[in-house]
Amino acid sequence: MTEKNVFKTAGLMKEMMTNYYEKGKEAKRQGIPVAWVTAVFPVEIIYAAGLFPYYPENFGAVAAARKVADKLSAVAETRGYSPDLCGYARCGIGDAYADEHPVGEILPPDLLFCCNTQCGSLPKWFEVAGRFYNAPYFLLDAPQVGFETDELCKEYYVEQLHEMIAYIEKYTGVPFDFEKLSAVLALSNEACRLWNEILDTAALKPAPFGFFDACFHMAPIVTWRGTEEAVNYYRALKEEVEERIEQRIYAIPNERYKIYFDHIPCWPKLRWFSELFASHGALVAVSQYTHSWAYSFDLEHPLESLAESYTHEFVNRCFDHRIERKINFMKKYGIDGFVLFSNHSCKPNAFGLYDKRRLISEKTGLPGVIFEADMSDLRFFSEAQVLAKLEPFFEQLET
Amino acid sequence: MNRAELFAPFINAVKDPDEPVKQWKKEHAGGVIGFLLPDVPEELIHAAGFFPYAITGGNIGPDQVDTHLQTWACSYARSCLANALGGRLDFLDGLIVPQACDTMRMLPGIWEHARHLPYMDNYRLPRQVDRSSAKKYLIAELARLKNGLEQFGGHKINSESLRHSIALYNHNRALFRDIFQIHAQNSSLISSRDLYMVIKGAMVMPRERVNELLKEIAGELKDRLKIESAAKSLRLVLSGTMLEPLEILDFIEEQGGTVVGDDFQNGYRYIEADVPEKSDYLEALADQQLNRIPSAAFDTQKNPRRSFLADLAREKRADGVIFLHMKYCEPENFDYYDNLLAIENIGIPAMRIETQFGASLEQLRTRIHAFMEMIGGKSDD
Repeated sequence: MTEKNVFKTAGLMKEMMTNYYEKGKEAKRQGIPVAWVTAVFPVEIIYAAGLFPYYPENFGAVAAARKVADKLSAVAETRGYSPDLCGYARCGIGDAYADEHPVGEILPPDLLFCCNTQCGSLPKWFEVAGRFYNAPYFLLDAPQVGFETDELCKEYYVEQLHEMIAYIEKYTGVPFDFEKLSAVLALSNEACRLWNEILDTAALKPAPFGFFDACFHMAPIVTWRGTEEAVNYYRALKEEVEERIEQRIYAIPNERYKIYFDHIPCWPKLRWFSELFASHGALVAVSQYTHSWAYSFDLEHPLESLAESYTHEFVNRCFDHRIERKINFMKKYGIDGFVLFSNHSCKPNAFGLYDKRRLISEKTGLPGVIFEADMSDLRFFSEAQVLAKLEPFFEQLET
Repeated sequence: MNRAELFAPFINAVKDPDEPVKQWKKEHAGGVIGFLLPDVPEELIHAAGFFPYAITGGNIGPDQVDTHLQTWACSYARSCLANALGGRLDFLDGLIVPQACDTMRMLPGIWEHARHLPYMDNYRLPRQVDRSSAKKYLIAELARLKNGLEQFGGHKINSESLRHSIALYNHNRALFRDIFQIHAQNSSLISSRDLYMVIKGAMVMPRERVNELLKEIAGELKDRLKIESAAKSLRLVLSGTMLEPLEILDFIEEQGGTVVGDDFQNGYRYIEADVPEKSDYLEALADQQLNRIPSAAFDTQKNPRRSFLADLAREKRADGVIFLHMKYCEPENFDYYDNLLAIENIGIPAMRIETQFGASLEQLRTRIHAFMEMIGGKSDD
């Protein structure tokens, strides 16, 4: 991501995200209920119900990227919240209590919806927020899924979607509009399709687009999924990526290796990591993280399809399924080595990585390395320690 | 009977948690299903003819756990895995892990690759407990768990054996609640340390034997209750996921304190909720689970934990509340501040202590003594 390499579409994204935060404030002024939601959540229902979905995780990522996670976290820590909690949650809780808001104030919810597909930290954070803002809270519970399609989990989730719709109807006093849901789902499908086609260009050698680009361009697929805006955005981005392929503008100069990266990036060091990899001719091509939003909903069976998509997401799958998914990505993208991030903020993604590293290398023969840091908080980051892990890995790639 | 005689089997079981199970294996030639805390339905394991063995953790020691699990995972998970890696759980034929937190969700995969067992399953507890979908799902999940145990055991669990196992465990819980009651009336008859030590020991002993012993203990203590009057103590409520290490109770008692209430998975929460008498046994087990006292692992909006704790502290006329937190336990830590406010709001002093398996006892002693002194206990000087 050198200066001349910045996508034109990036300007459009800044505009969109500014617009998104503005819309949130506008919703507050107009009395449109602001509903907190999680990143892997059937937001399509929220849009169809005419509520404004707000993503506190996005707030956490922004605070992390602007290197203020430690400051916001400190406010939470004085109340007894541990620095070992999820960094996004610490930023959100810290900002709620803070007098100063270095990245703007987190938008207070009128009601909160959480799905625990991603982790158990989000529901606990949302419970805290529900108490703090005195707003009602609704949990969509997703039991862990093994290798096969899990009908029990799906049925449970469908029933909860019915409960959630009834809950929203009671809150808004307006009957739920399934036709509108259908339209929203179609928009989600289209945005997901475009997004994944863009991600797939990372398999080209050399590639016009990689993981660090995806980190930069992913906010709309998370926060605008289900709207025209997201579709338009990814249409523009895809056009630009295609132009770049024609013009032979690549994600990094002299791509020699492709790397698989797990999972969330280290936001405050995004540029540092991207330059480090690029300097070794290594394109970080793929991560299961940016591939999380790859839905293809069946409009004939909207609730069943939402249930399967949101419960069978990789973060909610068993250990071996997750290994298989990583290996499939490595094959699809022609990967030469893999880097696993033991993220102090994210227990469900970090725990198990030590064994996964060994097992993946055994199964694929690829070199792999684990480094320890935190996605948000630089207090848990040591450049020297990360380099001590990564430099030998780069040497291994050369041999 | 003196204390040592009365509690000897439990003292021994806490010291050597694998002795009773090894003995049982010799006598019954049966299988042992281990489980982690919390809330695994032991009744199902028992009804399938297996020995339900609670893995209660221990000091981590020099095993290779660091190569499998980060040092910032909770020490309960780490110590259970360390015990497996160190060969100290080799008597297990199977394992059930309750998915009550992210760590418990990730542990089984690691365990399976490191120490494979012929039967391994997860108990996927619903995390919301108030809506009707939770109960319907839980009954189906219990049926799935039951089916897996039947397949591994090679025979069906009939309703007579399930009825019998539920009655056995209900009786066990009733006996424990009796003993809690005696302790509450006169803690010089059974100290806090002995009370929780008995629970910890019981978790690794055959339940039939536990019930016989508890009956004896309850009988003996009830006799003494009539003649021995209670000394005045400072009354404490303890809150957390796990009561560990038990020495904490000594430190409280040294300063003239006694524990009058708790919500630990290996404390009152373990014995509080009975399985209701119903013809549909799986529904009865589900009812029990959904009506347990609140914990950080579940979203219990109708019975919020902070109000529950404040009510408990008030009801028990607590002089102080100690939040005993397992370090790196995320759910517990997220709850803490609002729980603390709820206790402070009713004017009861509170403190938090973070512990771990293998924690430094001296530091714990110092902190507890300081708190006890603050609320009016003995002074160290």
